[in-house]
Amino acid sequence: MSQDLSSAFLAYYSEFQKKDFSLISFERIFGGASRETYKIIVKDNSDNEERLVLRLSQDSSLIETEQKTEYLAYSAFQESNVPVPILIDMSEENSKLGAPFMLMRELKGEAASPFTPNIYAPHEVDLGKQFWSILGEIAKKEIDKDIFREFIGEVEQPFWKNELDKWVKIIHEDSIGIEPILEAGIRHLYRNPPKESETISMVHGDYRSGNFLYSENKITGILDWEMAHLGDPLEDLGWALSPIWSWQDKDRPAYLLKREDALKIWEKTSNISIDKDDLNWWELFAAVKGMAIWISAGNEFKSGTNIDPINLFSAWIPGDIHLEIILDTLEKNI
Amino acid sequence: MKPDINIALLNAAQEIINRFSPLIDDEYEKSRLGSWGALILISALKLNDASSSLKKENHDIIEWLREHSTISMKELDQFKILDNKTIDQYDQDNQSLREMFDKQFEAIQEEGDKISLKEGIDLMRSMHQRRKVSDLIGMLQQQEG
Repeated sequence: MSQDLSSAFLAYYSEFQKKDFSLISFERIFGGASRETYKIIVKDNSDNEERLVLRLSQDSSLIETEQKTEYLAYSAFQESNVPVPILIDMSEENSKLGAPFMLMRELKGEAASPFTPNIYAPHEVDLGKQFWSILGEIAKKEIDKDIFREFIGEVEQPFWKNELDKWVKIIHEDSIGIEPILEAGIRHLYRNPPKESETISMVHGDYRSGNFLYSENKITGILDWEMAHLGDPLEDLGWALSPIWSWQDKDRPAYLLKREDALKIWEKTSNISIDKDDLNWWELFAAVKGMAIWISAGNEFKSGTNIDPINLFSAWIPGDIHLEIILDTLEKNI
Repeated sequence: MKPDINIALLNAAQEIINRFSPLIDDEYEKSRLGSWGALILISALKLNDASSSLKKENHDIIEWLREHSTISMKELDQFKILDNKTIDQYDQDNQSLREMFDKQFEAIQEEGDKISLKEGIDLMRSMHQRRKVSDLIGMLQQQEG
């Protein structure tokens, strides 16, 4: 952790709150290559402690996203059925902390690794019911008009094409070499498009195990909204169901509930009935999008722009798994 | 005889994971070093097979292209497996062969011939099986534990 950053933060926060604070701790959290995330504890002159989370943009991140996107997405779900941290401040300038940032109150709970089997035991049923029903809540949430306007400005319909074009562009810009499995998967998606959704939802963009906080049997927060956008609610469902998040127990997506139970909960909460073919498309799309993220990570690592080992890990392990998922899907569709 | 490179890497990984990482108090730095240990471990385990896997993949693609494409023998012969080629040369050949395979498989996808599709997918699966490191994920989790 840089001493400069903690000092700059203390000066900024004291100025922002118009009172003096002292720093108790300032710790960087490992993982999450799109942002540098810090857990901070400060106290004021009356010894009142505040627990904060700072999300700082990286010079080079896995996927370039703006702080404003994440901030607006969190704003859309403040005081809703979707638990999110309370926002404190956001800046898109470098002047305060050297990079754009977002500041939130810390929520109680812990996040798990998405690659560890049975990580949620013995609370997988309770957490699973909440996990899939919160996703249904996201799908059906009516988005505040101003926030909707900010997001819709960037969207060209149909949503599926907009998303697919975006990730394919990243793949072709960042690929180190040609990957035939991935190219075949991309062609399959373009040739067999889904129906355009009747519902326009806020799509979290990275809703999965590992991106929520939980305390025993309760989900306390949904995190990491930096890839949020408007679109087809099946996109989040396809991503959350991806076998990559339950590789050693594929019938239990996210290592939580059985797939059929998960889908029932989501349909009931969202009031959306699932078209199987469309969901299959979004599940294959999830693997292609995943590949774009892992390829981008590999490119960062190979070029030396960001040699955080998480970039090499992403390119190797999840990259392998998503390729295998694409291959399995292609084989099923012969 | 000197110890092999993969043995050196294997021992370095063990030292990082079991000896040095536990000494670090800062959670972020500790996790980062632990990840390096795991990645070096994977590299050590895959190092021995890197060259032979690449040769085998190139050979398999050439055979597949002979059967499924109109690419001339002369053109394919430039990618022949020769003892004096370096691993970088095999890698360059591999990139060209993958590109040729992809173009041919695109045509097969357009035609939709099920047998050819299956044979193409079988080749991609054997290529993937040989390259993948994700089968080591269980071992990495044990190391973390």
